[in-house]
Amino acid sequence: MNTLRLALRTLRREWRLPELRTLALALVLAVAALGAVATLAARVERALLDSAAELIGGDLGVSARAPLPAELAAQARTLGLEVGAAASFPSVAFAGDRSQLLDVQAVDDAYPLRGTLQLGGADGRGYAGHGIAAGSVALDHRALVALGLRVGERVQLGGRDLAIAAELVRQPDGGELFALAPRVLMNLGDAEAAGLLGVGSRARHRLMLAGAPAALAAFQRYAEPRLPAGGEILTPAKTQERLSAAFDRGEAFLRLAALLAALLAGVAIALAAQRYARRKTDEVALLRALGAPRRQVLATLALILTLIALPAAALGGALALGLAEGVFALAHGLFPQTQAALPLAPVLAAAGAGLAVLAGFAFPPLARLAEVPPVAVFRRTQDRRVRRFDVLYLVPLLVAVLLIAAESGSLRVAGILAGSLGGVALAAGTLAALLLALARRLAPGAHPALRLGLSSLARRRGLTLVQATAIALGLTALLLLAVVAPALLDGWRRELPADTPNWFVLNLQDDQREALGAELAHVGADQLNMLPLAVGKLAAINGRAPRAEDFADPRAKEWLDNQLRLSWSAALPQANHVAAGRWFAPQPTEAEVSVDRGWAQTFGLKLGDTLTFAVGDRALTARITSLRGVDWSSFRVNFFLLLDPAHAAELPHTWIASFHLDKGRGDALAAVARAHPNLTLIDVNALLDRIRDIIGRVTGAVRWVLGFSLLAGALVLAAALSASARERRHEAALLRTLGARGRQLTAAVAAEFAALGLIAGLTAAGGAAGAGLWFAARVLKLDGFVPPLAPLIGAALAAAVAVTLLGLAGTRRVLRTPPLAVLRRG
Amino acid sequence: MIGPGGRLDILEGVDLDVGDGESIAIVGASGSGKTTLLGLLAGLDVPSAGSVELDGHALEALDEEGRADLRRRLVGFVFQSFHLLPALTAEENVMLPLELDGADDARERARAALASVGLDARRGHYPYQLSGGEQQRVALARAFVHRPRVLFADEPTGNLDQRTGRAVGDLLFELNHAHGTTLVLVTHDLKLAERCGRVIELEGGRLKAAA
Repeated sequence: MNTLRLALRTLRREWRLPELRTLALALVLAVAALGAVATLAARVERALLDSAAELIGGDLGVSARAPLPAELAAQARTLGLEVGAAASFPSVAFAGDRSQLLDVQAVDDAYPLRGTLQLGGADGRGYAGHGIAAGSVALDHRALVALGLRVGERVQLGGRDLAIAAELVRQPDGGELFALAPRVLMNLGDAEAAGLLGVGSRARHRLMLAGAPAALAAFQRYAEPRLPAGGEILTPAKTQERLSAAFDRGEAFLRLAALLAALLAGVAIALAAQRYARRKTDEVALLRALGAPRRQVLATLALILTLIALPAAALGGALALGLAEGVFALAHGLFPQTQAALPLAPVLAAAGAGLAVLAGFAFPPLARLAEVPPVAVFRRTQDRRVRRFDVLYLVPLLVAVLLIAAESGSLRVAGILAGSLGGVALAAGTLAALLLALARRLAPGAHPALRLGLSSLARRRGLTLVQATAIALGLTALLLLAVVAPALLDGWRRELPADTPNWFVLNLQDDQREALGAELAHVGADQLNMLPLAVGKLAAINGRAPRAEDFADPRAKEWLDNQLRLSWSAALPQANHVAAGRWFAPQPTEAEVSVDRGWAQTFGLKLGDTLTFAVGDRALTARITSLRGVDWSSFRVNFFLLLDPAHAAELPHTWIASFHLDKGRGDALAAVARAHPNLTLIDVNALLDRIRDIIGRVTGAVRWVLGFSLLAGALVLAAALSASARERRHEAALLRTLGARGRQLTAAVAAEFAALGLIAGLTAAGGAAGAGLWFAARVLKLDGFVPPLAPLIGAALAAAVAVTLLGLAGTRRVLRTPPLAVLRRG
Repeated sequence: MIGPGGRLDILEGVDLDVGDGESIAIVGASGSGKTTLLGLLAGLDVPSAGSVELDGHALEALDEEGRADLRRRLVGFVFQSFHLLPALTAEENVMLPLELDGADDARERARAALASVGLDARRGHYPYQLSGGEQQRVALARAFVHRPRVLFADEPTGNLDQRTGRAVGDLLFELNHAHGTTLVLVTHDLKLAERCGRVIELEGGRLKAAA
C-alpha cells in the first residue's frame, strides 16, 4: 500500500518530465500503429476471403456428380441458413444453322446468395439480377457472338426454345476461375423439365449456403459424413488455394509491415525508457541513501511503469480502432463495406505486444537502477555505466521479435527481419565506434566547429552508439516500407505483365498449327507459344513397374492412376531452372528426361535413374539428366516431365498453345473456334484478374501501413534525438557562457548530427537493400529482384539531412535562451 | 520576474560600479539575489529594467550573440558546481575557451594552466575521476587560461570542505594577482569575502551597505 502511494505520488510529480511523457506517447503510438496495422491486415485478409465467397456465390457449398440428398437442404434450413440450388453441365445450343457447346449453369431464384449477378439488357445497360425466369436464359458475350444472336432473340437449348432475356456479364460460379466454354445461365426448373439433370447426365449439382459462421460450421459437420460419392464441400478458403502463392505473398507483405511498425515503436519505447532511467538515477540513489530497500525501489519503479502502461495501452487500442475505422471509411474498395463489427482481437494482441515490448525494453535499464549504489548521491558514477545497459537491449529485441513472430505466425519473416536489423545494428554500432575513434585522432587538427561537433559525439560515447543504432534501425524499417516494399510489389506485378497469356488452346493438331498461328495473328493475339503434348502412363522406374504402395507420398498413387502429360523442348523454358544435373545435350545418344524437383521427390528419383513411358502403342525409356525447379505460379505452360526433342518427337502428340489477347477482343475468337471445332479454348482472365486484385489490395494496405509507420518512425527519431537533449542543452549553455558564438554552436551541432545521420542513413540503406533481397528470395520467391539502390541512397541522404535539421531545430532554443537559466536548472 | 504568485522583483535599485583591476565580494543571505546580480554583470542574463555595462558596452543593447562575443573575449567564470563537461578530460575542459576563440596553441596553453593549478599529472582524467577540490582547480585553470579581463566567481568554495575551500580560495587570489584580473566574487564565506578589496551586501534584492 505504502509502495502504491509512493508510486502514485511519484507519478503525479514526474508527469511533468518529458521523459515519462515520451515513454507514454511511445507506448500509445506503438499500440495504435500495431493495432491499426493488424486490424488492417485482418480486414484485408477477410476482404480477400469474402471476395472468394462472392466468387463461389455463397459462404459454403456442397457439390457432387449425383443429385444431393434432400436432407442436406432441410438441415441447412433448420440451422437458419439461406439455401440455393444450382447445377452445371455442358450442352450444345442451336440458333439457325449455328451450334455451340456451352457451359450451362442452371440456378434457382435464390441465386446468387453472395456476390452479384451482372446482366446486360438489350439496350446494352448493365443491371444486377437475381435468378433467371423460367423460359428464359442469359448468354455470355462469347456465346452470343458464337451463335450470332442478340438479347431478345431465341435459342434452342436442351430441346427447348428459350428467350434470351439478358447478356450474362459476370456471375459467381462456384469458384471456377477457368472458363472452358462460353457460358449460359438458365432456370433450374427448365433444366429439370428438359431432363438435362437426370441419370446419366454430366451435370454437377451444387447446394449453396449463406448465413452465420456458427450455423455454417454446424452444417459442415453434419454434411461431411453424408456426402454422396465424389461429393465435396466448397469453401472460400479452398477456392483461394488455387491462388495460394499470391496469398502467401500478400500475407507475408502484411506481416512484414506489421512487424516493422511494431519494431519502430519498440525502438521508440526503448529509447524513451533509457532516457527515463538516466533521469531517475539521482532520485534512486537518494531513495537508497535514505534507506529504501532495493525491493521497494524496484516495486515502485514497476508500479509507476504499470500505472503509465495500462492507460497508455488502452488509449493506443482505442486510437487503433479509430484509425482502422477511419481508414475503412477512406479506402473504399480496399476493404469490404460490411456492417460487421471491427475485429477486436488484433487490437488486444497489439496492446499485449506493446506491453510486452515495454516490459522487455524498459525494465532492464530501470531494474539496473535498483543497483545504483547509495554512494552515487555523492558522486555520479552512473554515466560510465550507461554503455553496459545497451547490451541488454539485444535480449528484449529478440524477445519482441519472437513474440510478434508468434503472433503473426511467420517465423521466417520475423527471422529475416531480425537478422537484417541485427546486421544493421551491428554495422551502425561499428561504424559509429570507428567514427568516434577517428574523431579522437582527427579532432586536434580539424576545424574548431567540426572538432567541437565530433568531440561532442565522442563525449557521449555510449549515447552516440545507442543513437546511431536506433536511428539506423528506425530508418531501415522506414526504407523497407517506403522504398523496398513498393519495389517488391512492382516486381510481383511485373511477373504478370499486361501481355501475360490469358488464353490457352488444347488439342491442337500438327496440321492446324500454321493456320491457327495466322488466324490468331489476324485477330491481334500475341505472345503465342506452342508446346508439344503427349499423354501417357509411367510404365517403369529403373526397369521395374511402379506400384503405388511402394511410395509413402499419397500423390504417387494419383500420378500412377492418371495420365501423365509429357512435353519436350530444346531450350530450358522460362520460369524453370536446372536445380541439379545438366540440361539436354543437343543430340543425346540415349533419351533424356528432366524432372520437376517435387515430382522426383514423390517417387524418390535421383539423377541417372531411368523412366519408361507408355504413350499410345509406343514406349520410351529415358534417363534423368536434370532436376528442375519450376515456378508453378508463372502463368506459363509448365510440365513435370520434359523429354529431349531428339527422341520424343516420334511420340504421338498434340500441341498446347498459350497466347495473349486484349480482354475486350475475346469475341474475335468465336470465328477461330468455329473454324477449328476440335480445339478447346480456355479463358483464364478471371484468374489473372483475381491475382491482380490481390496485388492491388495488398499494395493499398501497405500504403496505409506506411502512413502509420512514418508516424512511428518520426517518434523514433524524436526519441533518439531527445535522448541527449538535456545534456546537449546544458553543454550548449555552458559553451555559451564561455563565449561560444552562435555560428560555432550551430556548426558543431550540424557536424555532429550530419555524422550521426550519415552513419544511420547509409547503414539503413544497406540494411534495407539486404533485407529486401533476402525477403524477395526466401519469402516472396521473386526471381531477379534488384533493390532500388538510387532511391535508397537518395532517401538515406535525405534522412541524414532531416536528422541534421531536427538536431539544429533543437539547438535554436538554446541559442536564444540566456545561459544563466539553463545552468541554474542543472 | 513574473511567476505563479505574480510579479517578483529579484533586484531593485542596485547601483554598482566596479573599477578595472578591483576585487569585489557580493555577500548576502540565500535568495537575496547574489547570483542573479552576478549573472547580470557577466551578461548571462539581461535585466527587465535598468542598464549593465561591461568594459563600456551596454549589455542590454547587445543580443545574446553579442554578449557571448563579449564573454569570450573579456570574461572568465568559476561556478559553485564546477560545470565541467563530464565527457571531456581535464585538459580538454581547459582548452574549451581557447578553442572557441580559434587559438592554435590551445593544448600547450591548457597544459601550462593545469600545471599552474598543480594538476599537470591529472590532465588526462575525466571529471568523475577527480575530487571536488581538483574539479574546482580545473575550473580555475579554465577560467584563467584565456587571460580574461574580468573573472566572475559564484560561490567557488561553496561545494568544498573548509581546507580544500581555503586552498582553492588561495589559488583564486594568487591567479587573480598574477593576471591582474578584475574579480567579482559571490560568496557566503565571509573570510573569503574579506580578501577582496570591497564587500557589498545584498538584502531582499537591494544593496545594503558597502564595506
